[in-house]
Amino acid sequence: MLTAFEEAIALLVSGDEMLTNIVLVTLRMSIASSLIALAIGMPLGTALAMGRSKIVSALVIVNRTLMGVPPVVCGLLCYLMFCGVGPLRWLQLLYTVEGMVVAQVLLITPIVAGNMESYVRGLVDDVRETARGIGLSRVRTALLLLGECRYQVFTVYLIAFGRAIAEVGAVSMVGGAIAYKTNVMTTAIMMYTNRGDFTLGIALGIILLLMFLTLNVAVSIVQRNVAR
Amino acid sequence: MKKIRIGIVALLAAFVMALSLAACSSQSSEPAEEDTSTPAATTEESTEAAATNLTILYEEDDSLINTYSLLAVNPDAPFVDADGNEVADVAINSEGAAAFIDWMLSDEGLELIADYGMADFGESLFTVNDDAPHYDGDIPQATDETKAIRLSTTTSVNDSGLLDYLLPYFEDEYGYEVEVYSAGTGKAIANAESGNADAILVHSKSQEEEFVTAGFAYTLPGFDSERLSFMHNYFVLCGPADDPAGVADAATALDAFAQIADGKYPFVSRGDASGTHTKEISLWPEDLGITTEADSVADYTDWYTYSNAGMGACLAMANETNAYILSDKATFLTFEANGGIVE
Repeated sequence: MLTAFEEAIALLVSGDEMLTNIVLVTLRMSIASSLIALAIGMPLGTALAMGRSKIVSALVIVNRTLMGVPPVVCGLLCYLMFCGVGPLRWLQLLYTVEGMVVAQVLLITPIVAGNMESYVRGLVDDVRETARGIGLSRVRTALLLLGECRYQVFTVYLIAFGRAIAEVGAVSMVGGAIAYKTNVMTTAIMMYTNRGDFTLGIALGIILLLMFLTLNVAVSIVQRNVAR
Repeated sequence: MKKIRIGIVALLAAFVMALSLAACSSQSSEPAEEDTSTPAATTEESTEAAATNLTILYEEDDSLINTYSLLAVNPDAPFVDADGNEVADVAINSEGAAAFIDWMLSDEGLELIADYGMADFGESLFTVNDDAPHYDGDIPQATDETKAIRLSTTTSVNDSGLLDYLLPYFEDEYGYEVEVYSAGTGKAIANAESGNADAILVHSKSQEEEFVTAGFAYTLPGFDSERLSFMHNYFVLCGPADDPAGVADAATALDAFAQIADGKYPFVSRGDASGTHTKEISLWPEDLGITTEADSVADYTDWYTYSNAGMGACLAMANETNAYILSDKATFLTFEANGGIVE
């Protein structure tokens, strides 16, 4: 493990071209997919929390089920859609970062929506009463609710990002782990493990954690300032 | 009301805990059962686990030859989608694939291949076939349309570092970008049949011939066959250094495999329809009836591990369990050099 730490630091300092590329692709993929998932999942989760009909309760259960979709299943579905003979082949998304983002958004959006739903649900009765008192429209009530749980939104984002950066099953199927193109940290770790280079695999794992740590610190600082 | 609610929550929590406990205990009881069902082999294994490590025991037999071929994907191949419907407009970069194959089989490409491994291992990892097809013509520079070449290949070619070493020469000189997708031969070929590759570099004669017969490959100008076999190395039979089955002294590779099967010594199989897997099943005594299908080895689970994993994962598994394993030599040497064999 100690050699792995040394190797991780040496790798970071050396500015190795391959590693730089892997880190950049990983960041591009994780940031894009987590932000898109947040943009879709946040309003969706709020809407689910505000609804009171039976259909909405059913949708909540559907969403919670989707939270448990195994990444490989999602990856396989995207592969079949995007592959050379698949119905969506004209999009040319197989073995591209954009294709990986699509798969990740499908995986993460239900998680964002589910988490938002449970946060908002706890506030919805109180806020709705206040909103009715001052005569707010439905949309403005939703915005007020979102404002009330802005602290949680950051946490939800970190969950989404963590899921995106740590995922391997779907991205390896849709991305194909192609060097200098779609190889991300997790698929690179798989590849080096298969080559017997365990130390380099662990070193990449350490770098992955460091990246997540940096983002965590940044988001936490913003979260404190915004939510106060 | 509140008390009832708390009660329900507590009940639910207890239920979940009971479920997870049950799941845990059933998991831990499974290996225990297996232990009792394999008497001699496992006790031997555990006492000697620390003493030995994976090493090459048998090699250089003609039946262990491992031939690699390049095939260009036919743009007019009978592609079908997941439901079996014909698909006509599959995008294949034929010109890029032709340029890549031409270069690989040019003097420059073949010389580089023959030289690979000398620097790191003191021996070539791949040998160019004496009768390798050869290309003398011009190779066009890349254009925007032909630039991206999708190569579907086997893990052994990629994991041995051959492509990392070769491709920069080709890419820098002609401006192409080769996107390498690597998986076991079976999967690499299936990937091409789904229209996701322009060329394939694989090592399983029977699967390559099926690919050609089905019309997925075509003959490039200047060559006389769809299947361009151009280099080889050898598979090696690896196992624990103390070699309990005595395969190092076997007269032929077939004898070595028969000895392993007779003594029911642990063996790790790729089990993934890769080139290595198809070679392995051709080496077992015929009366065992071992094929690439998992149910063909259902009776041998006490010694035969059908792992469905890549070469590296299988080597690690064989090393941990003191098992025998068939590997291509290039991957084994790279795996060993990278420190994958943990003593």
